[in-house]
Amino acid sequence: MIRLKNASISSRLTWMNMIVSGVALLLACTAFLIYDRVSVRESMTRNLAAQAEIIGTNSVSALDFDDARSAESTMSALKGSPQITGAVIYTKEKKAFAAYSRDHGVALDIVPEIPEGQTETHVFENDRLIVGRPILFQGKTAGFVFIQSDLSELNDRLKRYAGIVVAILAVSLLAAYAISFISKRAISQPASELAEVARIVSRDKNYSLRATPLRSKTELAELIDAFNDMLAEIQSRDAELEQGRAELEKRVEMRTSELAAVNKELEAFSYSVSHDLRAPIRHIDGFSMLLNQKYGSKMEPNALQYLNRIRDSAKHMGQLIDDLLGMARINRQEAVRRRVEISDLVAETIRSLQHDSDGRQIEWRTGELPQVECDPNLMRIVLTNLLNNAVKYTRNCEKTVIETGCLVQDHETVFFIRDNGAGFEQEYAHKLFGVFQRLHRPEDFEGTGVGLATVQRIIQKHGGRIWAEGKVNEGATFFFTLGAA
Amino acid sequence: VNRFTVLRIFTIGVLMQMLTGPGLSARQASEYQVKAAYLYNFAKFAEWPGSLTNRSAPLAICVLGKDPFGPALDIAVTEDIRGRKVVARRISKFQEGQDCSVLFIPMSEERRLGEILKGLERIPVLTVSDIPEFSRRGGMIQFVFEGNKIRFEVNLASSQSAGIMLSSELLKLASTVRRS
Repeated sequence: MIRLKNASISSRLTWMNMIVSGVALLLACTAFLIYDRVSVRESMTRNLAAQAEIIGTNSVSALDFDDARSAESTMSALKGSPQITGAVIYTKEKKAFAAYSRDHGVALDIVPEIPEGQTETHVFENDRLIVGRPILFQGKTAGFVFIQSDLSELNDRLKRYAGIVVAILAVSLLAAYAISFISKRAISQPASELAEVARIVSRDKNYSLRATPLRSKTELAELIDAFNDMLAEIQSRDAELEQGRAELEKRVEMRTSELAAVNKELEAFSYSVSHDLRAPIRHIDGFSMLLNQKYGSKMEPNALQYLNRIRDSAKHMGQLIDDLLGMARINRQEAVRRRVEISDLVAETIRSLQHDSDGRQIEWRTGELPQVECDPNLMRIVLTNLLNNAVKYTRNCEKTVIETGCLVQDHETVFFIRDNGAGFEQEYAHKLFGVFQRLHRPEDFEGTGVGLATVQRIIQKHGGRIWAEGKVNEGATFFFTLGAA
Repeated sequence: VNRFTVLRIFTIGVLMQMLTGPGLSARQASEYQVKAAYLYNFAKFAEWPGSLTNRSAPLAICVLGKDPFGPALDIAVTEDIRGRKVVARRISKFQEGQDCSVLFIPMSEERRLGEILKGLERIPVLTVSDIPEFSRRGGMIQFVFEGNKIRFEVNLASSQSAGIMLSSELLKLASTVRRS
């Protein structure tokens, strides 16, 4: 039975068929056997009683005329029934009168007793049946007759019966086997097909497959139909999901292109505005310079101071416009990547900055830097801005240290530039990269608020990220990555 | 007391007497004891015409002339046969025997036998005798000796012409059955 646990449905069916039919047959055969034995015993008894009656009736005159030979010749007719082993006729006084023995000379061991209140008796012993009855003539008891039979009939019948049972059992087990072999087609084959389809579906995630439906209306057919319905449901939901996703993607794409168009428009607008603003500013600067040169000596000191202020503002505005134009140009420019020795770029930038640092004592620390795939012109702008900031915000330090290096974080190369200057409050760090956003007053540190915004645009063009950490009066660190080429 | 028991006791007694005492009288006695019982038994295995109608009338076993049985016949007829009372009767003339069911004709009547049989022809009286050639001459049942044992011969033609039915049980015990 343990082996049955893992057996296929078909072999289970086969076993079940065979066990059920075997048990049913055995029970039926046993019942029939018992019934048969009882009825055979009854009929044997009846038969023997009939023989006894015949013998008795035919021995009445022999008893009356005391003619034992006649009685014996009557009894010799019992030879015709080979199962009868012997018979004895007794007188009314239960004295043996005449006897018959199938096997001559074999003494018969019969006690001529008929139980009180019974007209006849029959006794089944191990190997014989004895039937006894009175001999009646004209309503009176003339004597008694006892007949003894062996049980060969019963035993032969039992043997024959056992043979038949074995034969029937064998034939019906064969039939059960054959039937279950046929029913395999009806039950177990569709079931294993269903299992196979289910296996393929769960392996390949292919919900378009279907199990072959059955034409019958069995539970198995219902199961297969339900399975197919389930697959159809999954498939339709998949399709819906796919459709929804595609729609969403399309919408995102649409929005993105709309945004890009608006952005481009805005950039074009700001470029033209900046460009158009340049000429009037140059005029203001140029004419205020002429005014200063030609009439500065005749002006009152106050007027001259105002004029200088006008000129400063015009210059600042010019610078702002230049920066904005620069940023706009970068926005429109594609990053052209190639392999760049970043340490060379850093060294070059530091050299150019040293000219402008008014002979300040600055300690430059540069770590090992790898080669990277990037646009060298844009990268130069990034380094110039960041290093220039570092120089600017360390202006008030006694001892300036500016460090450039890189580290590996989460399988990504992160570059950093660290200074020990004015720093900033960490909670405003997100504002650093906004256009015109400044964390310091222009009186302390000059600037337009365009530089870091430009840097962020360049980093984003490369697919990288930029962020900053800082603390007031303890310095700032700018980190950036450059994405994969 | 059962008649067979009596019979058997008598038989044993007779055998003892045969060995010890004077033979003839003892033998006579035992022979007619048996014959008396046989007469009674013949009546049991025979059927008379119209026996159903005069069921109430007694069944008479008659002895013609000189009675050789003595009390033996009276002892033998104690029990009823098929509900009919059985009586033993002695008659002197065979003409009186027309009411008898069974008529025993003793040896002493041998000379008149032809007359008797002629007179009872076709009358339902079962004639029994131990006269030699009785059955051949038209008597119905004749006692014979087979060695020591008493047997009987049956003339079936005679009994049938008189309308008496003899049971096959009886016939199978007969030493001879004459059918014509």
